[in-house]
Amino acid sequence: MELKIAAPELARALARSLGIVEKKSTMPSLSHVLLEATKDGGLKVSATDLDVTVIGEHRCEVLKDGALAVSARHLHDIVRSLPGDQVTLKRASNNYLELKSGASEFKLVGLPAEDFPALPRFEKVKFAPVKTDLVLEMIERTQFAASSDETRYNLNGVFFESGQGAVRMVATDGHRLSLAERKLDVDFGLKKGVILPRKGLTELRKLLAEGAEGDGQPVDGELGFVENNAVYRRPGVTLMMRLIEGVFPDYRQVIPAQQEKIFNLKRLDLLATLKRVSILSSDKAHAVKLELSPGSLKVLSQNPDLGEAREDVAVGYEGDPLKIGFNARYLTDVLEALDVENVQVELADDLSPGVLRPVAEEGYTAVIMPMRI
Amino acid sequence: MGMTRTVGPFGAGAAAPVVPLWYRRGVEPARAILHLDLDAFYASVEQLDDPSLRGRPVIVAGPSSRGVVCAASYEARRFGVRSAMPTARARQLCPAGVYLPPRFDRYGALSDQVFGVYRRVTPLVEPLSLDEAFLDVTASRALFGGGVEIARRLRREVKEETGLTVSAGVAEVKFAAKIASDLGKPDGLTVVPPGGTAAFLAPLPVGRLWGVGRVTEAALSRLRVATIGDLARADPARLAAALGDSAAAWLAALARGEDPRPVVPDEESKSVGAEETFEEDLAGAEALLPWLRGQAERVARRLRAAGLAGRVVTLKVKYADFTLVTRRVTLDAPQDDGLAIYEAAVAQLARADLSRPVRLTGVSVSGFGAGEREQLGLFAAPPPPGREKRERLNAALDALAEKFGEDAVVPASARRGR
Repeated sequence: MELKIAAPELARALARSLGIVEKKSTMPSLSHVLLEATKDGGLKVSATDLDVTVIGEHRCEVLKDGALAVSARHLHDIVRSLPGDQVTLKRASNNYLELKSGASEFKLVGLPAEDFPALPRFEKVKFAPVKTDLVLEMIERTQFAASSDETRYNLNGVFFESGQGAVRMVATDGHRLSLAERKLDVDFGLKKGVILPRKGLTELRKLLAEGAEGDGQPVDGELGFVENNAVYRRPGVTLMMRLIEGVFPDYRQVIPAQQEKIFNLKRLDLLATLKRVSILSSDKAHAVKLELSPGSLKVLSQNPDLGEAREDVAVGYEGDPLKIGFNARYLTDVLEALDVENVQVELADDLSPGVLRPVAEEGYTAVIMPMRI
Repeated sequence: MGMTRTVGPFGAGAAAPVVPLWYRRGVEPARAILHLDLDAFYASVEQLDDPSLRGRPVIVAGPSSRGVVCAASYEARRFGVRSAMPTARARQLCPAGVYLPPRFDRYGALSDQVFGVYRRVTPLVEPLSLDEAFLDVTASRALFGGGVEIARRLRREVKEETGLTVSAGVAEVKFAAKIASDLGKPDGLTVVPPGGTAAFLAPLPVGRLWGVGRVTEAALSRLRVATIGDLARADPARLAAALGDSAAAWLAALARGEDPRPVVPDEESKSVGAEETFEEDLAGAEALLPWLRGQAERVARRLRAAGLAGRVVTLKVKYADFTLVTRRVTLDAPQDDGLAIYEAAVAQLARADLSRPVRLTGVSVSGFGAGEREQLGLFAAPPPPGREKRERLNAALDALAEKFGEDAVVPASARRGR
């Protein structure tokens, strides 16, 4: 294998692999990227942790075809720090990778391509086109609510379902739930909903945000499902993720139908208030108390070790008063994920879930369970 | 160089400053630290509860053939019986002794009572075990008189209220207080006068210092350091060469009577557990289950008594060859029910190798996570049928245990070592 490639192009390929390769694995090849130079003038860069796999195809000048696996992190760190804009990669004897750029020369210990795990290849994927900014928004509005508790593996991802001209994504950690819905009249051929893993979505988010030439200009791709995998691809890159096998809880039953106590707020005002007041909440529970009364919302926190905080926010509310406690993080996560001017808060009583939605926009609902106060 | 050594904050071989960086001399005013140690505690409790045992050699020891001595009365110590000695050996030394199985419930209750007396003078009580504690009475002196006076008062009140004798050491630093209380045993009060710590320590053998074991002692004796005074006077460079910079600096500071460690009051428990070493090794799940049931029930009772419920259940299995495995599981909801904890532990037992003989099992519950109980769940199914009933049952059982002892009512399938 021998090839010449633009350093920024190679750096981009390697950056994509960094989130996927395993840092501490018993299988050394999982910390490696597979480099494959093909005769038709392309470099294929693949990384996998056996659940999430990315394969990028990059333009380069191939002098000799061949393949080799090397440490993803080290190659990335080297390429990123090179002064020149051209890099020559060459496979030397004993699976060394020789890298030259300007006055710099590196020899990296590598592994034969055969030691790299076999990558999934899917023949009959039924792809459907997806809009990059739409998918990106839906991931950003849901993923934060997924659980990171590994014992609740069925909640470690985002539920995805499509039908009746719409796609829905839902995430929950058992305390709060986030649902995003958008019109999208395509057929993914899914008979029922699937659970997309958090790690795979993080990588998908990066790819979507990266743009066609790494310039952030959105380029649309397509999404398909096959054999318990989700596959996203666009020219030059394919991302595959193994779906989480498990039953996602019935989210519909926890979304309250009609709540009595409703008021609107400027999103950024409420966010800033919550952040200030929760400085004095306890580290773990981030508890804040909301005291709602006609015309006013008080946000309070207290901590026996630190002290207390309160802030008064004017709201156009005329109903019965209510005192309710929340984990401030659950509220701020939602407010940070929404890119809207105003939000609507809907409450019932101190033991029933609160609902947050954008004002004058369909398609997003957050449900948050209160804390006992 | 074929030698590794720890480099202190001042670098290898740098001259002199042997005081740890974090120790700033003279920052704090002289402290008054008490070390209080109940004399031959378990044995004394037995003599207290059964007057016919007074004056006789009483040995509290595990009843099993593999047991060790938990405590020996001073009468028994004259025969050479010591704590942690195998019971079989004690029986050889003192065949006429009265051998009793431990009654930890009773000791725990008396210990609570004694520590309650201590807490009248300061909240800064650091328990080391059921019978030993450090107290920082620096700030209490304004209310109750000097450290010596407080020690006298506590010894008197413990004696009057429980009938037990406690030995006390009063010093400016923790380890000197501990050495002092030990020197005065039994029923003694030893005072290290302010500013006199180094002089008090000087004649004592270096082995008295915390952190000086056989290896360090041998290394020191090669430097002709036999007493703590020798150590205080020893050349810091030679000490550092023999012990490493940080150990040398630490021990030299102790030898000069400098010990900045504060008294740390009892922390809130992070886990609640119960475990037992079996009289003979057991094999197979069948044999272990009754013990797990008993352990789970005891853990659950202690959790309820402390008002705790935890999500993490840990099973500990020690095999006959002393290898130890632990298996843990995180439950969906915090638990304080014995049956639920038992079921979680049994599920973990399936993940342990049960073809090998087992010497010990233990069950513990942790993950009390602050606030977790207050955060309501979205999918919190209505409590499983019968949960309320179980809660009422547990409350009733707890009330019975309170009145008639922990073993008054237990599940028929539970076993416990006695």
